[in-house]
Amino acid sequence: MALKTPEQYEESLRKLAFKVYLMGERVENPVDHPIIRPSMNSVKMTYALAQDPRHEDLMTATSHLTGKKINRFCHIHQNTEDLVKKVKMQRLMGQKTGACFQRCVGMDAINAVDSVTFEMDKKLGTRYRERFLKFLRMMQEEDLTVDGAMTDPKGDRSLPPSKQADPDLYTRVVEKKKDGIIVRGAKAHQTGAINSHWILVMPTSTMTKEDADYALSFVAPADAEGIFYIYGRQSCDTRKLEAGQIDVGNKEFGGHEALMVFDNLFVPWENVFMCGEYEFSGALVERFAGYHRQSYGGCKVGVGDVLIGAAALAADYNGVSKASHIRDKLIEMMHLNETLYACGIACSAEGHPTASGNYLIDLLLANVCKQNVTRLPYEIARLAEDIAGGLMVTMASEQDLRHPEIGKVVEKYFKGVASVPTEHRCRILRLIENITLGTAAVGYRTESMHGAGSPQAQRIMISRQGNLDYKKKLAKEIAGIKD
Amino acid sequence: MVTGIKYCGGCNPLIDRPGLVKKIEKLLPGNCSPVEDLSTKWEIGVLVCGCPIACADRPSIRRMARHWIRVGGATVDLESVHEDEMAGVIVKKILELKKRKID
Repeated sequence: MALKTPEQYEESLRKLAFKVYLMGERVENPVDHPIIRPSMNSVKMTYALAQDPRHEDLMTATSHLTGKKINRFCHIHQNTEDLVKKVKMQRLMGQKTGACFQRCVGMDAINAVDSVTFEMDKKLGTRYRERFLKFLRMMQEEDLTVDGAMTDPKGDRSLPPSKQADPDLYTRVVEKKKDGIIVRGAKAHQTGAINSHWILVMPTSTMTKEDADYALSFVAPADAEGIFYIYGRQSCDTRKLEAGQIDVGNKEFGGHEALMVFDNLFVPWENVFMCGEYEFSGALVERFAGYHRQSYGGCKVGVGDVLIGAAALAADYNGVSKASHIRDKLIEMMHLNETLYACGIACSAEGHPTASGNYLIDLLLANVCKQNVTRLPYEIARLAEDIAGGLMVTMASEQDLRHPEIGKVVEKYFKGVASVPTEHRCRILRLIENITLGTAAVGYRTESMHGAGSPQAQRIMISRQGNLDYKKKLAKEIAGIKD
Repeated sequence: MVTGIKYCGGCNPLIDRPGLVKKIEKLLPGNCSPVEDLSTKWEIGVLVCGCPIACADRPSIRRMARHWIRVGGATVDLESVHEDEMAGVIVKKILELKKRKID
């Protein structure tokens, strides 16, 4: 089975024995929990679109290991075309869900681990790549969703891992046994963890010799004994517990993050891809971050497409779509959104092969892409709120709209253009609210800021890769300066 | 046995490409000086690209030589090499290829 149906994916999740806590309670059935289920629906869409002839060209690829058709989320990029198609697939997914669809982190993790284990084995004589390829075959064959887990809680940022007051604030190996290792610590902000079959853990930053125990990469079943999750709250999340459809903004889809805790997790050696090789931790972090910064040039653009469409509809329903300033604001939103897309495509088109044969994006352009993502969605969201008007946050509830007596009043006074039902206006304004300050704002705003690394992380990379000395040399030549 | 040098266009080089070629010329024995003459087919080609993208690495260029050594920024044949050590690594590869041909 190289491609799972969406139904098979959902059933496969039901078989997992996740240990999840949400708002102080253990969740026995995450798949059907009203707060979690929309995020599962988003991942499920990655399976549905792969089955759809209208989208399979983007959603599927040919495995370089088996020659079989696989979901692109399980693929190792073989050329720049694969890198470009990845971004286009992510835009499509953002358009179809209006939310974070979570499966990118695993794809970005396998691509980073592929080249780094190859280089590590070549230099150090380790046998990690063989193990990784065995896992990759299984991932592709069973069409698994894998959570790429990088960010540690980090405690006091001024101190390295081994100097923290609590050593578990960075994920580490606490014991090496004959048959495997014992891991303790946690991973924060784990996108889609509870919708994943496996987790792929990577070090959170470049490690030194003193912190070699924290230079750790491995895979584990997401429901393994020794892993539990504490589900992250989102703005307006309890609206999902209400019976209606309108006030949630996006009834069907969403995203999620969770704290993933390793409570003396046992990992057999065959699932370990790095254990103490600190000199390769930096390359793994840099490549995963690079791929993930590329990803944002696709997924956020897709959600941006939905938001721009919603803002344009709000203008139509308000009767202002012909006003020149409204048209100009919509043009500006599209310009900003396509700027993000241009960066995603550019870093992909300028990709290059690594020694393992897989393709890596242009890291400088990927960092420029993500740096723009930390800014432009905020402006797009601001313009959407501007066009939508204040009603998007002062509107009455769906219960009021449906009320046998005051419903008529809501219908009358929340009406815009006469030909458009009031309910349509309510729905589109709630969707804008959802993306700009509701549950989906976690993905569209704050994740744009901090996901795949906070703005300063990209600025460090841009500084390192910007080739400033060469630019000085160019200026000297033009100015006639001879040293 | 001719060794040829082919440069990329040089839009945003991360290494000093002409400087690297000069160092290679210095390190190679006298009768092995590389050429940039495109009219003959080379036995060994050194593709000198300023960044890892190596946009000059394409089939039409690859046909110019039987064996290639690919430089892309601070990498030689896709492996990271410090810029100061690149010429030595490349010359070693050229001499190994020549020896293999003679043997």
